[in-house]
Amino acid sequence: MHTNPSGSAGERVDDRVGHLKKFQKELSAGTVSLVLLAVLGQSRQPLYGYQIAKRLEELGEGVLAGKQSALYPVLRNLEAAGLLASEVEPSVSGPPRRYYRVTKPGREVLREWVAAWNATRDSVDKVLQGEV
Amino acid sequence: MNAPRTINEYLHQLKAALRGADPALVQDALYDAEEHLRAELAEQPQRSEADMLAHVVGSYGAPDEVAELYRDQEIRIQRALRPPPPPKRRSLAGRFFGVAADPRTYGALFYMVLALATGIFYFTWVVTGVSLSAGLSVLIVGLPFIVLFFGSVRALSLVEGRIVEAMLGARMPRRPPYPAQNLTLMKRIGRMFTDARTWTTLLYMLLMLPLGIVYFTITVTLVSVAVGFIGAPIAWAFAPRWISDAYVNDRPVINWGWGQHVPGWGDAIVLCILGVLLLFATLHLARGLGRIHGRVARHLLVRGG
Repeated sequence: MHTNPSGSAGERVDDRVGHLKKFQKELSAGTVSLVLLAVLGQSRQPLYGYQIAKRLEELGEGVLAGKQSALYPVLRNLEAAGLLASEVEPSVSGPPRRYYRVTKPGREVLREWVAAWNATRDSVDKVLQGEV
Repeated sequence: MNAPRTINEYLHQLKAALRGADPALVQDALYDAEEHLRAELAEQPQRSEADMLAHVVGSYGAPDEVAELYRDQEIRIQRALRPPPPPKRRSLAGRFFGVAADPRTYGALFYMVLALATGIFYFTWVVTGVSLSAGLSVLIVGLPFIVLFFGSVRALSLVEGRIVEAMLGARMPRRPPYPAQNLTLMKRIGRMFTDARTWTTLLYMLLMLPLGIVYFTITVTLVSVAVGFIGAPIAWAFAPRWISDAYVNDRPVINWGWGQHVPGWGDAIVLCILGVLLLFATLHLARGLGRIHGRVARHLLVRGG
């Protein structure tokens, strides 16, 4: 029996792209809270959503798995959980902006999350380098 | 869907893509998108709106991509924020008594009691504000006063939304509708009055007084009657002679409808069982009323998606 080789190869590539996309999406879903909290934790002044999006854009893809719209609901959830606080300020040249900053419990949570992330990363690295 | 050329077009498309989603989610999503797009536009003012949007579709996401993302996110929020659902009980007794294990029941019960206080406050605020607005409108100071008053009503509606979400578990918006841009002050004020949500919010605040009174009365009456019934055996054990009015020939007499008799432990225990049943029925009532009230609040406080 003959199958069309180019067709099946195309399907396989599609499959691979799909798997990769899904994996990237899951990775980003797991890390985006940590990244946002860390960006705000390191910043000296409060930041608004667009600024954060631009900073992450400079780092390249990966953190948000492409779309910057993913960051706003996460910011809002972190605020609802009391890890961030926000206020709206009118700006001189542009639209009013919602500035976010890290709260005290947010800093404590960030410290724990960073430790958890380091532990996860180290163990994943070890597995990938074949030290198991 | 053709590519949006203006911010309003983008928002319309986003709203269309989110059709059927929770109105509170739609309001939050539109606020986020508008904030981002306006910031992007302000970043490079010399770029045209259409060029900016062409770029944004790549970075922020096309309306339908954003809509999908928000729907996904909503499912996760629901899972993360909601208390774990109480185990489904099959038996009639399990369903009847299981209400006590549902955290939402106590939220609703507390809301019923709190509603009297918030109801009085909202009602007073609206009646005072509306009458002062009407009275002062003939003077110059009237206009700023009216604007301030309507602004305060919007802020209060967000606060009430937070209370309703926390206690009754109905998803409410976390962001106000995005303030309109590029409008003259007068147009902005005019928009406040033509927005149906402003008026339904006022209606809700007026309604809160009678509703609050009813909720408070029902809750306090039923809970105290139930607790009183439950305590009947204790009352009986300590001082049966308190019921001195019912004494005939030195003995207390009670008539339940089938002839007089001297009450004893049997009556006290029956009352106690009745009290327990009544208490659980009250919890059911509170949870049910809470659910209905959550729906009313969503209809009147959230702009229709």
